[in-house]
Amino acid sequence: MIMTIESIDRQKHPVLIDQMFRMRAEVFSSRLGWEVSVNDGRETDRFDDEDPLYLMSVNDETGVLQGAVRLLPTTGPYMLRDVFSVLVPGGAPESPLIWESSRFAINPRVFSVAERAEANHIVHKTTLELLCGIVEVCRSAGIDHVVSVFDARMARIFRAADCPYEVIGTPTRIGKTMTYAGVFEMTDTMRSRLGAVGDLPSTVLAGPSRQPEEGLAERHVA
Amino acid sequence: MKLIENNNLVNSLCEITNAATSAALNAVMASLASRHGVRSAAYLGAGMSGASNREPYLAVTYSPNWVEHYKDRGYVKIDPVIQTGMRRLLPLDWDEFGKLEGALKTFFGEAAEFGLGRRGLTIPVHGRRGDRALFSVTSDLSEREWEQEKIEYMRDFQLLAVHLHDKVLELEGEPVLRAKLTPRELECLQWISDGKTAWECSVILGLSEHTVRCYLESCRYKLNASSNTHAVSIAYQTGLFSQIV
Repeated sequence: MIMTIESIDRQKHPVLIDQMFRMRAEVFSSRLGWEVSVNDGRETDRFDDEDPLYLMSVNDETGVLQGAVRLLPTTGPYMLRDVFSVLVPGGAPESPLIWESSRFAINPRVFSVAERAEANHIVHKTTLELLCGIVEVCRSAGIDHVVSVFDARMARIFRAADCPYEVIGTPTRIGKTMTYAGVFEMTDTMRSRLGAVGDLPSTVLAGPSRQPEEGLAERHVA
Repeated sequence: MKLIENNNLVNSLCEITNAATSAALNAVMASLASRHGVRSAAYLGAGMSGASNREPYLAVTYSPNWVEHYKDRGYVKIDPVIQTGMRRLLPLDWDEFGKLEGALKTFFGEAAEFGLGRRGLTIPVHGRRGDRALFSVTSDLSEREWEQEKIEYMRDFQLLAVHLHDKVLELEGEPVLRAKLTPRELECLQWISDGKTAWECSVILGLSEHTVRCYLESCRYKLNASSNTHAVSIAYQTGLFSQIV
């Protein structure tokens, strides 16, 4: 299931939040070698201080974090305009109805403990659950479009998930990786399509009553 | 996407744009509330640069008695809309507060006595420079009607919230400098001005129709336009199209 965690509710989920920042360090710094700032094994940046919304894929049974993504409005500070402007030389989009997703990550711990076939399945399923979560959250908030900056690796993941996007601006090599800016449609059609691929026909969002406030997640942290 | 432009939204956005004083903006709030069929509408802005010691900016349709009572009682300290809304991104449905008890029960009870609706929705606004705002509406619709209307009007409320906030920044002497249109955005708008639909633009430009809509959405916001037609007329007036050879 997907838990949506607002800034104001971070203190209710200290363990999940901490797991997410450690996962981001492992994925973006250790594995992908991005130039991100890691302190004490946790990756954070200035956009984490802008009260973003986090979507977290949490294992229904164990409460372990499987993946996460961050949403920011394009009316406030956001990555494509303020960090990756090289990708959009003509300027970045901006509107109350366009949000940005960033720091999309799947927890490497999930697949390091599983058999390869099973691991691939979990990665695929978690990716689709997060994507469905983004669409559902945006639909509920009246948001029509999501922009995102991603690399060739993510582009492959989107293709495998049958998640359509359109590249905007000019793809550019940043460091070692080809980097793209893309726009995704937040429509019911998109939701059904992703739902069909991931076998997720009904909502992936945890209702308020299903959002455990600690406990569950904490017990399973080593 | 609706074929007929959403006139209520267009009219409200035009009124916001035309408001030249805070008194005028208060009047806009009242007409906006009645036009959109809500019991009350409220804007509260905070954290505008250099304004940390200033009172939050308030434009509300609430009775002055409620505002006074609210201040007297120091309700800002317990008001869950303010306490949580400023650090949120998703719209906040007041039903999320659940069964009200103690001070909160008194607070919302009094609010209802002063004319606020039983249901409420608050849209958080994130500005560029750490400035934040909340746009709230209340209603007396039944739960079922409310759920439907809420979804239907969420986009409108998102747009109204940010346009109100940008107007307040302008009135406070800190206008938002909207970004210039990108070449692609301008190109889409030019085809719209030639009478093409978003779908036709998408065929002409080899883009998906959705991407064209995204570009047009960004155009409307950057030009402070209430509709595509309005955006086209602003582009003509400001000579944007003449830049394209």
